[in-house]
Formats: sequence, C-alpha cells, structure tokens
Amino acid sequence: MDNIIFELSNVYFSYPAKIPALNGIDVKINKGQKVAVIGANGSGKSTFLQMLNGLIFADKGKVNFCGRQLDEKAFNDGKFSLDFRRRVGFVFQNPDAQLFCPTVEEDIVFGPLQLGLDKNQIQKRLEELITALNIKHLLDRSPHRLSIGEKRKVAIAAVLIIDPQVLILDEPTAGLDPLTTRQIIDFLIEANSNGKTIITATHDLHIVEDISDMVYVFGREKKIVKSGLAKDILNDLPLLQENNLVHIHRHKHEDTVHIHPHLHLDHHGDNH
Amino acid sequence: MKNNNFIQRSIIGALAFLKDLIFAEELAARRGFLQSLDPRIKLATFLLFIIQVLLARNLQVIFFLYALCLLLVLISRINLLFFLKRTWFFIPLFSLFIAIPAILSFGLSSVLPFLMRVLTCVSFTVLLSITTKHFALLRVLRIFKIPQIFVMTLGMCYRYIYLFVEIIEQTYLAVKSRVGTFVHYKNGRSIAAWNIASLWQRSVKLNDEVYKAMLSRGYRGEAMVWNDFKFRPRDWLWLLVVLIMFVTVSLRGAVGDEAIFY
Repeated sequence: MDNIIFELSNVYFSYPAKIPALNGIDVKINKGQKVAVIGANGSGKSTFLQMLNGLIFADKGKVNFCGRQLDEKAFNDGKFSLDFRRRVGFVFQNPDAQLFCPTVEEDIVFGPLQLGLDKNQIQKRLEELITALNIKHLLDRSPHRLSIGEKRKVAIAAVLIIDPQVLILDEPTAGLDPLTTRQIIDFLIEANSNGKTIITATHDLHIVEDISDMVYVFGREKKIVKSGLAKDILNDLPLLQENNLVHIHRHKHEDTVHIHPHLHLDHHGDNH
Repeated sequence: MKNNNFIQRSIIGALAFLKDLIFAEELAARRGFLQSLDPRIKLATFLLFIIQVLLARNLQVIFFLYALCLLLVLISRINLLFFLKRTWFFIPLFSLFIAIPAILSFGLSSVLPFLMRVLTCVSFTVLLSITTKHFALLRVLRIFKIPQIFVMTLGMCYRYIYLFVEIIEQTYLAVKSRVGTFVHYKNGRSIAAWNIASLWQRSVKLNDEVYKAMLSRGYRGEAMVWNDFKFRPRDWLWLLVVLIMFVTVSLRGAVGDEAIFY
C-alpha cells in the first residue's frame, strides 16, 4: 500500500459541452515504476496525464496521490500544493505551451523559483542539467528559435530541475529524429534507475519496451482496454490493430503485391 | 490580383516585423562595448544622455552628444549606415512635419536645434534598444517598481508574437496553395475572417495550455522571476565617466553663449 504513488478508481471526466474524455479508469502506479500509456489520437491519454498532474479533476471517481485525494480542495491547501508540485513534474505535449518565457534560461529556472528553491541550488542544478542534456549553448536563446528536438530537451530540463520523484511525459519523442529520440529515452531510463517514477504517453511503439514495466492501452471508448507487460501488449496484434497502433503495409515482391500489418518497433525496420 | 494585395501586404509586413526583431536580437548578441554593459547601468546612463539633450541650451552640447552616440555605435560593432538609416527615418515622422510652418517662415536654420534634439534623443533610444536584448530591457523595468506580473506578461507577449506570426505565414501559404493567387475580394474577406477566427481559437487553446504549464511548475498567482544581472568593474567605470561628462557638459552648457530655446 505504501508503495502506491497514484491510484485511480472508476474515474470519469468530460470537457465542456459534455465531450467525454475518460470513461471509468482504474489504475495503480507504484513508486519507481516505468509506465507507458499508448492509444490512438483522442483516446484520452493527455487528459489522463493532466489528471495525474492535478491540472484537471475527476467528475466522478477518485484520484489519489500517496493516499490523498487530488481535487480542488487539496490544491487550495498551499502546503500540499507546493509539496505536490515539487514531487510531480509534467512535460507537456506541446513545447510551445510549456516554454513561455522570453529565454531558455528563464524557462528552465521558472519552476524552482516558484517553488521557493534556494537560488544557489537552482544555479547548481541548472549547470548540471544543461551539461547533461548538452543545451548550454541555448541558454540565451528565445524558445521560438529552437528546433523541435531542442525545445523538447529544454522542456524536459525545465521539469527535471525541480528534481521531481515522478516524471510525467506527454509524447516526449513526437516529431523527433532517431538520435534525439534515443538521447531522450536514455535520459529517462537513467532517471528511472535513479529511483524516479516515469509515466509516458506515446504513439511510438518502438520506445515502449524501453520506457515501461507496465503498459496501459487506451481505446476509442476512452477507457483502458488492456494492461500488461510491454512484450505481451506488443505481441497482441489484433489489439494494436483495433486501436490504430499498427497499419496495413503494402509493398511489392517482384510482381506480387504483398499486404500485411506493419509495426514500428525499431528504427531499422526489420521487425515487420 | 489587386484585391488580394491587402492581405498579402499585411502578411509581408508581419514577416518583415519578425525578421526585424530577429535581426535586432542578433545585434544585441554581438560582442560590442554597449552589449557588454549591465542593462541597468546602460539604461540609467542613456536616460542621463537624453535628459542632457533635452536640457541643453547650447547647440554644441547636442552636437557633442550626437557625435558620442555615433562613436558608441561604432565601438558596439553596429553598421553606421544601418544605424543612420534607422534613426533618420524617424526624423520626418516626429519632427519635420511639426516644424514645417517654422521652416517656411524663418528658414531651416531656425529649426535646426529642434531637429538635432529629436535626432539625438531618437538615436540614443534606438541604440539602447538594438544593443540590449528585449527580455533584458523588460527585466530592467523592475527597477521602476513595475509589478513582476506585468513584466512577465509583456515577456510572454513578446515570446508568442513570433509563434503567431509563424502561424499566420503558414496559414497564408496553405490558403495560397489551395486557391491560387487570384481570389475574388468577397472570398478573400471571408478567408481572412475565417483565419482571424481560427487564430483566435488557437490562441485561446494555447492560453489554457500555458496557464496549465505554469500551474504545473508551481505558479500560484505571484510569479518569481530570475535575476542574474551582475555589476562588473567596467559598468561602474562607464557610469563614473558618464556622470563626470554629465556634470561637466551641464556646467559648460549652462554658461554657453548660443542659448537655444527649442
């Protein structure tokens, strides 16, 4: 029980105009676990992550963090709110929303400044992070002038500088080239080996095995259709097809047209 | 074709504005004299120069300060021709039109002090803005006790202008690729209105996301901002030189023979 960091039971959520986004979600996430959330566009992954980060609250059901229910009342308690924000970091899907300051440096230090960390400590962490992520040369730049890969690295740095115990990432590798994808995945694996809980929503099936001990598949009905180990989920072809995670691949062998489901499990393309 | 020009000109204007800002940022990033100064000291000393120009009763003092401004341009690695183009552009805008009646009645020499005063003030202001990064200038505003939330909001506006200009450009190209270059003005109007509505919706959505991103990193209604400005010996030395100059020039200017009143 003590090991459970997030516990969601029968959670429902709808956006204004009664557009359902989550339809009865039950999830338990343990400390130090790597969790991947996969599903087609609009299956509720981002809503689920925002709920874990206490940015939106359940219409029905319960979301607990270390035994305390996450609702507006909890976040009205300044002490809890501060503690939660220090312990849970969220990397948004859209880096242009996350990086809102005029310079990269100001963006990275924004979080720890709001959370009241000591300035010397912030400076020390800043130095460590920019070296580790190789973004020192970007500090004076404005976020709008960065490439998508640089933006994602800066967004991750802006969250890691808080040194949260739980790191929630929404599509951290979307639109990235293979090398930058690998760098970010390696960084997440290292963070997890240092004890951090990593929760990632993604479409990239080729990274799922690396970033998960447990995979949750979100379906069109905005609920979890299956959960389990990465290898079991990735071998369940009907499930992946049903949820738009594989596509039909068509190519020619000499004069014969050959059609089969196509999985992107790695960058070398030999896992068809 | 002609009816489509308004939209095209607006887009081109927005892009030119963007490029201009980017170019100004590059100038501010160069390793020149003014760029190396602390923005607070730079702002304070430039204010002194402008006050001196405004109070000067001697044309020579204004000429001296204008020459000093041009010298600062050179040692700050800014192309003199570019600077002159930029500053002289403002002169007809701000002063020449105002001075036309005086020129017609008393000749050009009668308005020379007024024009020089405007030119020198504009030159110092432009020089300050192109040698200082915009975000640094915004942060300096806090010296004047402007609330942090205001400074932060200005900074965020500055940051998102680029994003929206890029969106406008991409939308315009997407429309152009589908409808060609000729659009009937009625259709053009509805396309422009549709784009404005679409941009509005995007900005509202982004506004919601940005606010969530702020909350997620601990924002609780009162923003704390990073202040890493550091005074260095050269900043104090520059301040000292400017103060000495200010006192000396003020004393000399006050007793000058050729008092001017514009």
